[in-house]
Amino acid sequence: MIDATLLVQMLLGALLGLSVYLPLTCGQLSLATPGFYAIGGTLAALLSTRVPALAGAAGSGYPLSSLLLEMLLAALLCAVLANGIGALVLRLRGIYLTIATIALVEILRVVSLNLEITGGAVGIFAIPQPFAEPWGYALWALLLLVLVCWGCQRLAATRPGLAMAAIRDDEIAAASSGIAIEGWKRLAFVLSALVAGVTGVVAAHFLNAWNPRLGNFDASITTLAFVVFGGSRTWIGPVAGGLALTALPELLRPVGDLRLIVFGLVILLGPALFPQGVVTPPLLAAVGRRLPAPLRRWLGLGPAGESLPGASAP
Amino acid sequence: MSGQAQVQAQATAPLLAIEALSCRFGGLVAVDRVDLQVREGEIFGLLGPNGAGKTTLFNLISGLTRPTAGSVRWKGTAITGAPSHRVAALGMARTFQNLRLFSSLSCLDNVRVGLHRHSRQPKLQALLGSRAFQRRERELRDQAMALLVSVGIASLAERPSEALSYGQRRRLEIARALACRPELLLLDEPAAGMNPGEKQELSGLIRRLRREHRLTVLIIEHHVPLMMELCDRLAVLNFGRRIALGSPAEVRRDPAVIEAYLGSAGQPPEAGAPP
Repeated sequence: MIDATLLVQMLLGALLGLSVYLPLTCGQLSLATPGFYAIGGTLAALLSTRVPALAGAAGSGYPLSSLLLEMLLAALLCAVLANGIGALVLRLRGIYLTIATIALVEILRVVSLNLEITGGAVGIFAIPQPFAEPWGYALWALLLLVLVCWGCQRLAATRPGLAMAAIRDDEIAAASSGIAIEGWKRLAFVLSALVAGVTGVVAAHFLNAWNPRLGNFDASITTLAFVVFGGSRTWIGPVAGGLALTALPELLRPVGDLRLIVFGLVILLGPALFPQGVVTPPLLAAVGRRLPAPLRRWLGLGPAGESLPGASAP
Repeated sequence: MSGQAQVQAQATAPLLAIEALSCRFGGLVAVDRVDLQVREGEIFGLLGPNGAGKTTLFNLISGLTRPTAGSVRWKGTAITGAPSHRVAALGMARTFQNLRLFSSLSCLDNVRVGLHRHSRQPKLQALLGSRAFQRRERELRDQAMALLVSVGIASLAERPSEALSYGQRRRLEIARALACRPELLLLDEPAAGMNPGEKQELSGLIRRLRREHRLTVLIIEHHVPLMMELCDRLAVLNFGRRIALGSPAEVRRDPAVIEAYLGSAGQPPEAGAPP
């Protein structure tokens, strides 16, 4: 059912879901994820096909150190770009911010479609492979996903997470409580771009080719669906949504053309039946009670451990 | 001004001084050249009919709205037009007339947001969740808990703030404001929606909090008897202008105040005010 190739796609989907989730933690709906994903992908495609120094010894595969270097460069580039762009677009609120990020994705797509260096509509082919088997990519993507999940969990469990939740609930009250809301919004936007960019690097090598269609408006909506379906209150939601919604169309192949109808129904009924997404805090608390304490703590489910002094004796 | 003179001026300056502060929205002058000085340690009341510009004045002080003219000075330093989070950092915290709680957070976490500026931890320790980090987190929870105790809603700590009654929400907002460790607490109609018993308790609570937290309090309230009893000094606004200033007894006798409340000379506001 789920082979290694599909598994890689699912893991990359989960990573993109997390990229959409991060700005949402402070209430900012940004659809810029595919834009930064495309920047990462294009950067990887260009570097690995045009810089001989990265290719390593002849005969062996593309070196992992080069892949790692590309990921670092993509993270850096996306973070710097997002910091600058964020300073401008995050002045917008609500739907206007969303529209601006859609415009950003569109600008990037049109630019890469018309540049010589990115190969125009054809794109870039024969991106070298660091792994001979899809399982290699699956493992690599899994490591990356675990790392990003860990980061999201720490973010939620510490001061930034509380500040971002406060901004999401009420910006004015958050600012009056001493929270510099612009800075935190910008941080979330930068982290989102960074995750998308790094994911793009892995995707480019995995797909073996890169073209501007990979970062278009459709991708914005698909990645948004991951979060809408999975839920945006914890990082587990977008991961679940990304895994499930990437796998679903493939798993439904046996039912033929009916699969499009079933997929459409899931997208429609998901938000209708689970307005907060499938993964909600009450659900997590219920699951958390059945898990051993260390795992529960790591996942950030339910009470953090010892009860509060005074809370038990009012 | 020389350095020494400036230090001296700051030592003698009132905690908060507002000079000729104005705010207009298009053709409407919401606040019209208002002067006020709030001295350290006092409970200063702002009275006035609906639409007199009291909340706008609060918004001008706390950085939510930029004044069109005039100045705000904090301990002698001009802070006119400073953004909200900077005003909070200087030592002013506020509550809101229409309650602005963080609805998805528990009561305890609402207060912990107020502790934001005091809860910074070394980044690496926070990332790894070290023992030192967890110890400090417990301290912060204890501090937040203590504030919930001091406003009397400790038993509700883990409840979502949405589950609270109106009076409890007002108390929670005060606890959150206190978590910022302010020197000046701005309360915007803290008794609105409370029953007479709760109003009576509120006045005791504000006095006790002033003592325990060494606060200066600037308070907006409609309930005239409460204000007369609670405040050291009062200012009365009408149509954006300050029409009276002084002790409760002075303000009560002021003909301009009586006219603002009753239309013409008549009974003092205490008797004529709506309950």
